[in-house]
Amino acid sequence: MENYALWLILALLLLAAVFLPRWGLRSLVRRRLAAQQRERVEDALKTALDQQWENRPLSLRGLADYLHLSEQAAQRLVESMQAQGLLSLRGSDLALTPEGERTALQVMRAHRLLERYLAYEARMPLEKIHREAHRMEHTLTPAQVNEMEAAMGFPSRDPHGDPIPSLSGQLPAGTSTLLTEWKANLPARIIHLEDEPPLAYAQILAEGLHLGQVVRILEATPERYLLSDGENEYRLAPAVAANISVEPLEETILTGEGILPLNELDHDQKAEIVSLDEACQGFTRRRFLDLGLTPGTIIFPELLNSFGDPRAYRVRGTLIALRKEQAAQIWVRPTTEASA
Amino acid sequence: MTTPPQASETFSAYDLLAYADKLRPQLGENFRDTIVNSLYSEAEAIARRAVHQKGDRRYDLDQRIDRIVTSPIFGLPIMLLLLAAVFWLTIVAANVPSQLLATALFWVEAQAAALFDGLGIPWWITGFIWHGVFRGLAWVVSVMLPPMAIFFPAFTILEDLGYLPRVAFNLDFLFKKAGAHGKQALTMAMGFGCNAAGVIATRVIDSPRERLIAILTNNFVPCNGRFPTLIMLATVFVAAAFPPAFASFAAAGAVLVVVLIGIFFTLVVSWALSRTVLKGQASAFTLELPPYRVPNIPRILYTSLIDRTLFVLLRALGTAAPAGAIIWLLANINVDGVSLANHVASFLNPFGLLLGLDGVILLAYIIAIPANEIVVPTMLMVYMGTGMMTDVGSYDSLRTLLVDGNGWTMLTAINLMLFSLLHNPCGTTILTIRKETNSWKWAGFSVVITLGLAFLVTFLTASLARLLGWG
Repeated sequence: MENYALWLILALLLLAAVFLPRWGLRSLVRRRLAAQQRERVEDALKTALDQQWENRPLSLRGLADYLHLSEQAAQRLVESMQAQGLLSLRGSDLALTPEGERTALQVMRAHRLLERYLAYEARMPLEKIHREAHRMEHTLTPAQVNEMEAAMGFPSRDPHGDPIPSLSGQLPAGTSTLLTEWKANLPARIIHLEDEPPLAYAQILAEGLHLGQVVRILEATPERYLLSDGENEYRLAPAVAANISVEPLEETILTGEGILPLNELDHDQKAEIVSLDEACQGFTRRRFLDLGLTPGTIIFPELLNSFGDPRAYRVRGTLIALRKEQAAQIWVRPTTEASA
Repeated sequence: MTTPPQASETFSAYDLLAYADKLRPQLGENFRDTIVNSLYSEAEAIARRAVHQKGDRRYDLDQRIDRIVTSPIFGLPIMLLLLAAVFWLTIVAANVPSQLLATALFWVEAQAAALFDGLGIPWWITGFIWHGVFRGLAWVVSVMLPPMAIFFPAFTILEDLGYLPRVAFNLDFLFKKAGAHGKQALTMAMGFGCNAAGVIATRVIDSPRERLIAILTNNFVPCNGRFPTLIMLATVFVAAAFPPAFASFAAAGAVLVVVLIGIFFTLVVSWALSRTVLKGQASAFTLELPPYRVPNIPRILYTSLIDRTLFVLLRALGTAAPAGAIIWLLANINVDGVSLANHVASFLNPFGLLLGLDGVILLAYIIAIPANEIVVPTMLMVYMGTGMMTDVGSYDSLRTLLVDGNGWTMLTAINLMLFSLLHNPCGTTILTIRKETNSWKWAGFSVVITLGLAFLVTFLTASLARLLGWG
């Protein structure tokens, strides 16, 4: 008798484990499959969009290679995407339908917004953001993407300098020149660092180049590119240099001439804030602005920690402590009068 | 819509939004800079017209104080002295009110139990309600309330004076090396009062990564609930090994060493977290050093007593009541003539011995998860075989009970101090972590790292001691 009851309870528990609406095994598997399908569709859309922009044809085999799928699986994927009206066949090549292109842009939008969020708000190392964003982009709802965009103040570019599509699928305009096509000795601002292939991107980061940096080409030979930002020199292989895009400087940008980072300012030396470094974005930049560290403000180091770091600065009547790394992102010009 | 909409036109909201969407890219990347700039210049212009300043003596005084409290010679000593004063005041002044509260509440328990017995209510109902649930509540209130009601106002005075940001300023070099934020020093100091309050205090850290580090490591500073255990062990075991003249210094020194070990683990775990799970670049370290102010007493009383003390106490009571019930049940349900508590303790005993502890200690820590205050009473209950949480009158009889009766050694005492320092956060703190991080994952993670460390460290010390023949 007891045995029957025990078996009955066990059977009921097993049934529940499999068929429970939310936590049951069946619905877990079903959700996992749906998520996987969404990931594949979205990755396929992105690949197709990339190829379309590069004016390269995309074959079924090409798609299978990009997504690391078997040809049969890719075939099934393409068929289901055709049924949804996202892809069409032109001869043996795959092409995005207008609906497909619209959806692909939204995936790209989620990816680039996530990259920006991870780099500037969560302060994740740059070489890690692409993979993390790639993982997370398939889990967000459109509403979440919009919310994220609004929270970051509708940014126009991701941390690599790529444009972020707007909700309606528009791309911010902007002209850029490849570094390899730029004239020697003419200063230029870095506006894009291509993150594919990762190896070249890692080299660029390891050299210490970043967005917003102003550089000049000192030497361009088929063997190497030699760049300078006034302080350091950077050596790149031409193939790596081709992953960097630049734009001309606006006329007001000041280079050198008595400007130094705040952390190098002498004790009690008054100075005027010239600008916040371009590399300082998102959370950090907002924080600085909130504290009133705006261009034209007078600032001077007032209190030194006994260990040399952080230092406290008097600005707008309040005392604000900054670490060396933060102070280095603020450019100042010493004024002639010394503080009292 | 291609032209700006005019006031006279009629247009749909959708059109307007589409137009805004089209204009947005033209704003450029840093239009926020422009907005903030214009806000500040506007504010400056107004201030120039409206505010006139004649000399500034307060400013000079502030500067002079700042030079002293952040100076290489006086900075750290002043800080240690002030914090030591707060602890001393807390421990000394809380003693008498604690005793009074305990006497009063246990008197209520005895009267109520007698009344129930008189009415002929079965003993197990009386026991469950009064010697279980009520006794758990009473114990937590009498041990927890007085120290918190003293510590929090004293701490809030330092906060209100404007002194605490200077502490963060002085100690930032340590936390920077650990990949954390200087303000973590403040949340740690708060943790001495109560870890749950310390976790809430991490709200002052404005970058999420550093804040999470501060939350996950806060438990490594011993709170008010654990201090009595540490002091008891230091007095009964460490001090007893010294001549009477030095005994109290030895006890104080032992507690200090435990606190320093806790700070060491805070920094090491912060360092490890910032390089693994919470990897990232240091966020903006901006720390305002506000001008010194005369403390505002009513506000201090309000924030410290209502916001902090009462809040923590209520949360603790919510978890202490079920704990009291479970403790009573374990002690009073007998299987084969032995209480359930003893069964579990003997089951845990081999594992406990491996860590230099014993089964009863582990049992006490498991069922006293809601509040550290009831760990020792639970332990004594099982050792003495009483049916309810128990205290022992004097340190001498406590020593006799633990050493002669239950085989405690110096190793047991030292490992219990280490375990008490490192083990998982109490139930209140776990719930608070869950609330502050909005995630069970982080709350669970905080338990895993602390408990893992506690097991590892006690296992290592126990093994080492046995290897050297001290066990």
